[in-house]
Amino acid sequence: MTVEEPGDAARKASSYHFDRHAADYRGRFAEVTKELHTQCPVAWSDTYGGHWVVSGYQEVFDIARRADVLSNDHDPNGERRGYQGISIPQNSPTQSGFIEMDPPEQRHYRQALNPYLSPAAVARWKPVAEEVARASIDEKIESGSIDFVDDLANIVPAVLTLAMIGLPLRDWQIYCEPTHALVYTPPEAPDRARVIDQTMHMMGRLYAATAEVRRFPRPGMIDALINAEINGKAPTDDDIAGTLLLLITGGFDTTTALTAHSLEYLGKHPDERERLGRERFALLDSATEEFLRFYTPAPGDGRTISADCEIAGTRLKEGERLWLSWAMANRDPGVFPEPDSIDLARPGNRHTSFGLGIHRCIGSNVARMTFKTMLTAVLDRMPDYVVDPARTVHYETIGVIQGMRHLPATFTPGRPRGKGLNETLDDLQRASDEQRLAEPVTVRRHRAQIDTAAS
Amino acid sequence: MKIRVDPERCQGHTLCSMLAPSLFELDEIDGHSRAVSDEVPAGQEADARGAAASCPEQAIFLS
Repeated sequence: MTVEEPGDAARKASSYHFDRHAADYRGRFAEVTKELHTQCPVAWSDTYGGHWVVSGYQEVFDIARRADVLSNDHDPNGERRGYQGISIPQNSPTQSGFIEMDPPEQRHYRQALNPYLSPAAVARWKPVAEEVARASIDEKIESGSIDFVDDLANIVPAVLTLAMIGLPLRDWQIYCEPTHALVYTPPEAPDRARVIDQTMHMMGRLYAATAEVRRFPRPGMIDALINAEINGKAPTDDDIAGTLLLLITGGFDTTTALTAHSLEYLGKHPDERERLGRERFALLDSATEEFLRFYTPAPGDGRTISADCEIAGTRLKEGERLWLSWAMANRDPGVFPEPDSIDLARPGNRHTSFGLGIHRCIGSNVARMTFKTMLTAVLDRMPDYVVDPARTVHYETIGVIQGMRHLPATFTPGRPRGKGLNETLDDLQRASDEQRLAEPVTVRRHRAQIDTAAS
Repeated sequence: MKIRVDPERCQGHTLCSMLAPSLFELDEIDGHSRAVSDEVPAGQEADARGAAASCPEQAIFLS
């Protein structure tokens, strides 16, 4: 909390009561965005202890890349400057991995993990993602009924992330349920205790897996973290668990949200769905970027100003909190004409959905690959799906992730093309272990070889 | 047309390579981009402009 000083009234004259966690925010998002854009693209909000809200694209661009005056640090024990990390309000007693660190430490973590998450590294996993999507759809294809969240969009990102980390694929539900539930279960809900239990169980597995890999090394990001050098030291078990939790929470819910929203949109606009199916080669990449822009699954991140500065015409003081709204920047009409419309062929789509600057989402290549895999599988296997709006469930509040809980749909039944999900996961586990797919790309360059038994 | 990717600005968003794969190569380890050649081949100027317009970090410079 900053102390009021003379001159603050003038600095904070552009003010707006901005509450992303409010129940009505989701419904009013476009309206709030326009108000902020026209009145004060850098605004002071008195909510959550007081913080700056940056919503204009140019302002977000100018500020986000200033690693010299912005800190991501989360320092709960006051060992440095007591900064509060990237959540506003901060709700965790621990640092959430390298997203809540500054360089050089932050850079060392990313350097350790880059060879597992680069475009070249991710491309090797494409056959695995395709098989998981195929099997997930096979489980439902004969029934003519599916929940795109529970039965597809939750599964593929979870399995791929676990595979890259070096965790058993069959355990995906242990990590999946609490990861989503933590986001959409409000603190006061009766369910909260159960969610916390599930989260503790998940954390227990992460610590146990780390101990296992220390004793019996196997490829994957756990191994990378065990052997990493961060500021000249090896990460502790707590450091490693925190990083794994970041990779899991960063990768699951966001990719699920993107996939669910996109499938919902295409279900409501069958002409666009048909066009995308038909012109897939030309449109899939631009459509993916447009869905990312419009739905911005991770809508923003907090920062702390680390040094007095003036950016985008506003004087900012050390210690002040600031919210970088990727979601609102992505609706700036100065950069994206007709910003509230989805244009599957939108050119010049320099959206900020994976962030800007040194904290660019390290999982961005995984996200794009798994999303495109799931989307093309749906367009191939069930192109006529009809969503059920009455049973569709969006997250009530979108302050943390703009997500969906359920997206039920019906479609013309088809036939399975291979084995069911559990058998497929066993086959993929075997292939991953034998081919050491989870090695970094510097060690193993080649694409996974998955023998698919056609039915 | 000359093309350059500023390595200080590039953060590995990969939009450039998606749009114009023949003009950019991505680092195997971190996915950061380099121009394949500092001269854009004739006929690919529109692709180069499209890639520059799509870079979220505005890291691509054409002249």
